[in-house]
Amino acid sequence: MERINPYYPIPVKIKKIIPETPTITTFILNGRPFDFEAGQFAELTVPVVGEAPFTPSSSPHDDDMEFTIMKVGRVTDALFNMKEGDLVGVRGPFGKPYPLQQFKGKEIFIVGGGVGFAPLRSLFLALLHDLKSYKKIYIRYGARTPEDIVYKRLIPEWQKIDGVDLLMTVDVGDESWGGRVGVVTVILDKIPVDVKTSPSVVCGPPLMMKFSTQRLVEAGFRHENIYLSMEKNMSCGLGKCNHCRVGKFYVCKDGPVLTWQDVKDIEEPFL
Amino acid sequence: MKSYLLSPDKILTFVKELSRDGSLYYPMFEEGRTHLVRFDEAKEFKPDFTRIRTAENIKHFFFPSRDTVAAFPKDKTREVGKKYLFGVKNCDLRGVDVYDRVFMGWEPVDPFYKEHRDKTILISADCPNPEDSCFCNLLGMNPYPDGISDLNFTELPNGLLFEACTKRGEEIIDAYRNMFAEAKETDESERKVRREEAVKKLNKINSKPFRKDLPARVEAAGKEKMRNARDECVECHACLHACPTCYCFLLSDYKKGEDIERVRIWDACYYAAYARVGGGANPRSEIDERFWNRFRCKFDFFTKYENIYGCSGCGRCLLGCSAKIDIREILWNV
Repeated sequence: MERINPYYPIPVKIKKIIPETPTITTFILNGRPFDFEAGQFAELTVPVVGEAPFTPSSSPHDDDMEFTIMKVGRVTDALFNMKEGDLVGVRGPFGKPYPLQQFKGKEIFIVGGGVGFAPLRSLFLALLHDLKSYKKIYIRYGARTPEDIVYKRLIPEWQKIDGVDLLMTVDVGDESWGGRVGVVTVILDKIPVDVKTSPSVVCGPPLMMKFSTQRLVEAGFRHENIYLSMEKNMSCGLGKCNHCRVGKFYVCKDGPVLTWQDVKDIEEPFL
Repeated sequence: MKSYLLSPDKILTFVKELSRDGSLYYPMFEEGRTHLVRFDEAKEFKPDFTRIRTAENIKHFFFPSRDTVAAFPKDKTREVGKKYLFGVKNCDLRGVDVYDRVFMGWEPVDPFYKEHRDKTILISADCPNPEDSCFCNLLGMNPYPDGISDLNFTELPNGLLFEACTKRGEEIIDAYRNMFAEAKETDESERKVRREEAVKKLNKINSKPFRKDLPARVEAAGKEKMRNARDECVECHACLHACPTCYCFLLSDYKKGEDIERVRIWDACYYAAYARVGGGANPRSEIDERFWNRFRCKFDFFTKYENIYGCSGCGRCLLGCSAKIDIREILWNV
């Protein structure tokens, strides 16, 4: 009898590579190795080198699965040396998706930092797929410099969509930049949603997560409505190997998105 | 539940029969320690069921320290042979209980663990002579099994008194029914007496119980309070690898010929890089944090998740510790 092996990565070729910033690249795979829902993640294998967890940046409805990845370590260094047509492996989907049913009829406030826009893009595209079901989508995105903004090729189109309100800021501007300057919290000064009912979704580097969450709490979002992407060391993705445990949660199984209500009592939850 | 007696002259025949159905391991006292050794008809059978658990834990049998779990790009299947573990003690069964929960208690079930588990018959034994390093009683356990194993036996002067704990255990008794005699009431009362004596010995060794709110105390202890306790720790990780309940592992890929093999290797939360993420952030970069985490994992988190302690009281960690740190002292003082 054939058994399903949860450790086996499905082989799939890289179809297209799109550099987004000097350190961030989107890898489009040749097909969608498995179905997933926005918020669930995958383990991506670079042959021989190993695997690391990433949340797809493509819509769950897209034919090809995409990952937007920052070059930060052993696996990603090797991935950035790969070419279109090379073979990678993918396991998943892992973890729990965003509860889109609960988001219906509400204003959704999305806050992203740096490469944290990648999983948020998957969520955003899933929301766009059924835009009429949501009251309005707000995106607040911060990057270090104009050069570090991901999806520059897509953002102008998104900003034109009726029902989408997308603002950006950069920590440090340059001569080409005419927009807001300052860390992401500078565009959280005005929060134009009903904080009592709206879900807020945050993903980005640890400090950005910390200060954005603080701001959302101050603004009055309910703690159980603040959804946070938890970045933890992961190996198996199955809730077995124990690497990603934070507090009583296995982030890979109970997350990777947990609410502020879940993690607020944990010492340094974003580290 | 019905008990059956296997007289001393029939033990070897029974073990021999079982070993023809699958490889059988039993405890043998050798060079000052009890080890689980593979039964070999050509060698002398010298079991020792009276001493405490073996020096090695039994997790190797279900969760080898290095196990190939996938091949890439084309996966391969492997066969696992049938095994009998004969005479294991209750502390090691707690380890299996923890593993059953982690590897089979929630989806997806780990197919490798399950296959090992399905093909291993657990025949446990009462633990009549607890030693100073034992503390299962502090964790609410007894020195005799009350679940997990397929069959259990108590060593009595007139033989091994067996009791089936699972359907699989009943089937073994049925299959070898002609070797067993029906137990007498006196055998069962003798078992009761021996068990009570073992509990008494344990209560004498560990007369001071852990506080009832141990999980909350461990959670509240903080890394500062742990600093004194871990002051002597040399980070040898012996406690973690010797532990029958530690289940951390890491997947690593290796090239083998044209293929790639994915190997599952035991890991340990004391390693500095254990929790470090790709970007470099590390929630437990200090040993104090990692030391505290080990206690939280076993006595706080696992209890919250599964309602049992992730510790078996086997005492291997304190005997294996290079710095002679006694886990009980830490838990009494949190």
